[in-house]
Amino acid sequence: MDRRRFLTVLGATGGAAAAASACDIKAEPTEHLVPYLVPPENQVPGTATYYATTCRECGAGCGLHAKVREGRVIKLEGNPESPINQGRLCSRGQAALQGLYNPDRVTDPMERGPSGEWRKLSWDDAIARLQAKTKEARGKGIAFVTGLESGSFGELVDAWMKKVGGRHVTCEPFAFEALREGNRIAFGTPAIPWYDFANARYIVSFGADFMETWLSPVAYQNGFSRAHGFDAGRDAAMAKFVYVGPRLALTGMSADEWIAAAPGTEGMLALAMAHVIVTERLAPVPADMGRVRAALDANAPERVAAAVGIEAQTITRLAREFAASKGGLAVAGGIAAQYANGAEIVAAVNILNYVAGQVGKTVKFGPNHALAAAGSFRQLTDLVRDMSAGKVALLLAHGANPGHSLPAAFSQALGHVGYRVSFSSYLDETAAASDLVLPDLHPLEQWNDSRPRTGVYALQQPVMQPVFPGTRHAGEVLLEAAGKSGSFKDYLQSRWRGVHQRYGRGRGFDEFWNDALQHGGVYADAPAENVRLSLEVTRASSPDRPALGWRPSPDEPALVVFPSIALHDGRGANKPWLQELPDPVSKITWHGWVEVHPDTAARWQVAAGDIVLLKSPFGTVRAPVWITPGVRPDVLAVPTGQGHKAYGRYAKDRSFNAFELLSDVPTPYGGRAHVVSVAVATTGDHRHLATTEGDAREQGRGVIEVLPLARARELKRGAHPFSERETPPYADRAMRGWADAQREKASLGNYAGEHPRWAMAIDLAKCTGCSACVTACYAENNLATVGEELVSRRRQMSWLRIERYYTSGDAGRPVGAVVTPMLCQQCGNAPCEPVCPVYAAYHTPDGLNGQVYNRCVGTRYCANNCPYKVRYFNWYNYAEPGGEWESWPDPLNMLLNPDVTVREKGVMEKCTFCVQRIRGAQNRARLEDRNVQDGDITPACAQACPSEAIVFGDLHDKTSRVAALAQDPRGYHVLAGLNTQPAITYLAKVVHGAVAEA
Amino acid sequence: MTKRSDRVGAGVAIALLIAFPVAAQTGQSAPTAKAPVISDTGRLQGPRQPVFFRHDVHAGQDQIPCLYCHNTVTISSEPGIPALQTCFGCHQMIGGSTPSHQAEIKKVREAWVNKRPPEWTRVHALPGFVRFPHQRHIKILGTESCINCHGDVRGMPQVYQFATLKMGWCITCHVQRNVSRDCTVCHY
Repeated sequence: MDRRRFLTVLGATGGAAAAASACDIKAEPTEHLVPYLVPPENQVPGTATYYATTCRECGAGCGLHAKVREGRVIKLEGNPESPINQGRLCSRGQAALQGLYNPDRVTDPMERGPSGEWRKLSWDDAIARLQAKTKEARGKGIAFVTGLESGSFGELVDAWMKKVGGRHVTCEPFAFEALREGNRIAFGTPAIPWYDFANARYIVSFGADFMETWLSPVAYQNGFSRAHGFDAGRDAAMAKFVYVGPRLALTGMSADEWIAAAPGTEGMLALAMAHVIVTERLAPVPADMGRVRAALDANAPERVAAAVGIEAQTITRLAREFAASKGGLAVAGGIAAQYANGAEIVAAVNILNYVAGQVGKTVKFGPNHALAAAGSFRQLTDLVRDMSAGKVALLLAHGANPGHSLPAAFSQALGHVGYRVSFSSYLDETAAASDLVLPDLHPLEQWNDSRPRTGVYALQQPVMQPVFPGTRHAGEVLLEAAGKSGSFKDYLQSRWRGVHQRYGRGRGFDEFWNDALQHGGVYADAPAENVRLSLEVTRASSPDRPALGWRPSPDEPALVVFPSIALHDGRGANKPWLQELPDPVSKITWHGWVEVHPDTAARWQVAAGDIVLLKSPFGTVRAPVWITPGVRPDVLAVPTGQGHKAYGRYAKDRSFNAFELLSDVPTPYGGRAHVVSVAVATTGDHRHLATTEGDAREQGRGVIEVLPLARARELKRGAHPFSERETPPYADRAMRGWADAQREKASLGNYAGEHPRWAMAIDLAKCTGCSACVTACYAENNLATVGEELVSRRRQMSWLRIERYYTSGDAGRPVGAVVTPMLCQQCGNAPCEPVCPVYAAYHTPDGLNGQVYNRCVGTRYCANNCPYKVRYFNWYNYAEPGGEWESWPDPLNMLLNPDVTVREKGVMEKCTFCVQRIRGAQNRARLEDRNVQDGDITPACAQACPSEAIVFGDLHDKTSRVAALAQDPRGYHVLAGLNTQPAITYLAKVVHGAVAEA
Repeated sequence: MTKRSDRVGAGVAIALLIAFPVAAQTGQSAPTAKAPVISDTGRLQGPRQPVFFRHDVHAGQDQIPCLYCHNTVTISSEPGIPALQTCFGCHQMIGGSTPSHQAEIKKVREAWVNKRPPEWTRVHALPGFVRFPHQRHIKILGTESCINCHGDVRGMPQVYQFATLKMGWCITCHVQRNVSRDCTVCHY
């Protein structure tokens, strides 16, 4: 009995039931078509228009292409012309859309009524109120707190504050104060240079999470993958990457070697390496060496080895490798720049670069980061002190939420401020405690600019009409309050006259302006600056200075607070994409956790999910335990981002606020110490962690193959170390007849003839696990976010997931981790297809495992039969407006991609290589009377990937990149022994040294 | 299955500067007969629209090509419905010859003045899980082929759904022309 016949029989017996339920089917509601009054320029219905603008989710200033359909932006992609992100974009950048369409946005100006309730008021009244309050507060203290504003809006705030006698304080919870101070100590300049990862041959990161939140993560990850990716055709060797830090962060997971130095000793290690380079004369000794000789001598490897916790000969080896590479790059950041001695550590790492002769080569002063202009934590605490002393009569806040990052002190101080104004788009902690809220436009709705690094002038233009017409550009409000005429765009253009004079090359301003708009800005090279060791550099080394003030042990552990890659300092917490994005390391969603080493956990007798009380001298939080080998036994680690008291439905009252554990007193370099001592107490409570992790170990299943570099180099063209025999003989025999039948079927009808075979190659030597692809998939394919409860029941809808497996770690061997993207493999011989009783899962002529949503009846046989577990079932109606599981409450539904069906309850869904993009490219090619070319189609994941690890194309086109990569000797198929014949070729990860066991 | 994309806002981007009548250029073998006077609109097929826009007058009698108003049909998946500006472009001058025409044209002019475009009732709608790229069909079948699916609107005083637009009907044509019957050509 074949499947059709089976169904016919079933249909006859179940007919009565079907007839009864058929009454429920209602006619489609009448749709109305409302024409435009005047058609908008550059808009073709059904076709996307792209506008260049700039991402404002962090200070990196990546270029964006905003995809606009029928006047609404539906996706954000990287601008390939931007010298910062090269067309790539991280998860946070893509999720800016969910800030724009956030259902918790403030829609109109509001003021606090007499009994504390919010009252709407008109903009005229609101601005009059602002003017009156400003006048009143003159001379009594006015302060304007903003996030990092490196462009015209910041200048406007400066100018206005100057006029009214106030001060402008920049508040960035991660402002890299130690980096600036460390550079000042070493080189006499607080500038933050550009680090040339792409041309580095040996990279040592002292805590710097340059793939997560450090300075410019997309740019640096892109550069890193160029240096560290394996390219058999390249002369130079693949760069080696050593990560030094107390915890194996996402960045560290890509390392060839993880050195878990004792917290606070990173500087000693750097100086010890420098000592080896100088004493062994591994690099030309700089003329001004004398200034640091004493420091180096005090930190000889033998003297610091015990404190750092590694052997002296390891330090010597690292130093020799670093120097011998002739392209060493050492970077300091993350937790290494957040101890009390963070600035000294940065200075020490600078010295290491300097003695190796790399300053000016891989460390480029000149194209400096704008972050050097960010305020410091000390400025903020000074402000808080003045506020508490009643010296601030008017406080304005824009783009900063110190009420969350400095919870206790700032909230208390706010009570002493006369009048509080917020320009926030959301009722975050700071806005909620304000008297007047003047909701700003979202960055995607407004004019502005930023200068992320010297020489890069990035423009921001409104890519659509404001979602809420009652919101107004903060710059315009300020201009009006200051009594200036003209719009903010006029102001912006007036600031750009200067850029025009420098870079206009004889063109008129309008032409220059339009050109800059089209390209997202003006990109110029910044001249290199030479730096020398400063006189102060002797401060860089005092090996006896205690980093922490106590020696951490499992009984008195050091607690490290690290920035969450998704939520950052907490600004991403009200975006469901970012909440549901599994943390790349812990794989936990929607909640915070505390990382505990297995030995420590055993000692305390706690299991994963057990809630412990973390008590620091400054605050207490309750956190669920997550046990990981990727943290030192004497260190605990918690992420920032959660624990909001306000902000919105996704963020509020969720998990704990890690900032509550930190001291409010600035460090000597003006930053904030992100490490504290904690007392830990078990509570007996337990929380089921909403994790997407299956197994922490790969168990030798061949999901991720790893090659040592020496072996990878030997591989000749045509060699296939992973595919000598993909199908075991017994499977061959068993399947022979069936396979023949399959082939015969496949030659029927329109399956015959010339068709492409869509395929993908994923280079694991480049993939870092950053998960930008995951968010891209959510955005492109209308994936529902299901919430914490359903994730904990394994009902997340992530078509593409990043699997992370730990390696080694037993018997004293260093722990490592490997990652791989796992998505539908588009099997040539797919187990999901033959089990579908209704042909909803079927094989398309172009080789995809198609999924016809309107056919699917939800038997879930396909998901049961899928060995890769990449099919996802709609257990609820996530699109139902007002429904219990609604994923896109209005106006979040505006970001839905109109080219992709929104699936209903009872339907199975899966990755189809972004089939809508394939069909779109085919339609375009047909219109232009040509064939689809290699490179015409880029799935969303491949487009976002900051390390360019994913290549898509047609396997039948022998000239395509993917066809070449499919033949790469490093290529292998996951679970190839099942004879599924996947279309995805993974290229084995390549490591320096030996391969760690799974 | 609900596609929550908004077709409602689908309008027209660029009014192509096609001078009309250009029926001669496009070789439209239209019934040049005068459109009939209609006394009983209640008997007409199709939904009643806010403005009694007569395709038989515009496309039939006056021989205005389809693309004059639905001008993105050759380049995009959506043909676009004309912006009110397009209507007003002509009806600024043309006021109508009979009282009934004048009454309808007045509605258009008022809509323009009040900036309230009429809310047309949609006649041809596909479910949200179906993609129909108009441009590909026009590319192959030519700009005269609208008739295949929409019927000969040159004879329709009020537009009604001419074809079932059901999948079997689509497939019949795809079989006849031996073009793709793959599911994911339309369903994704």
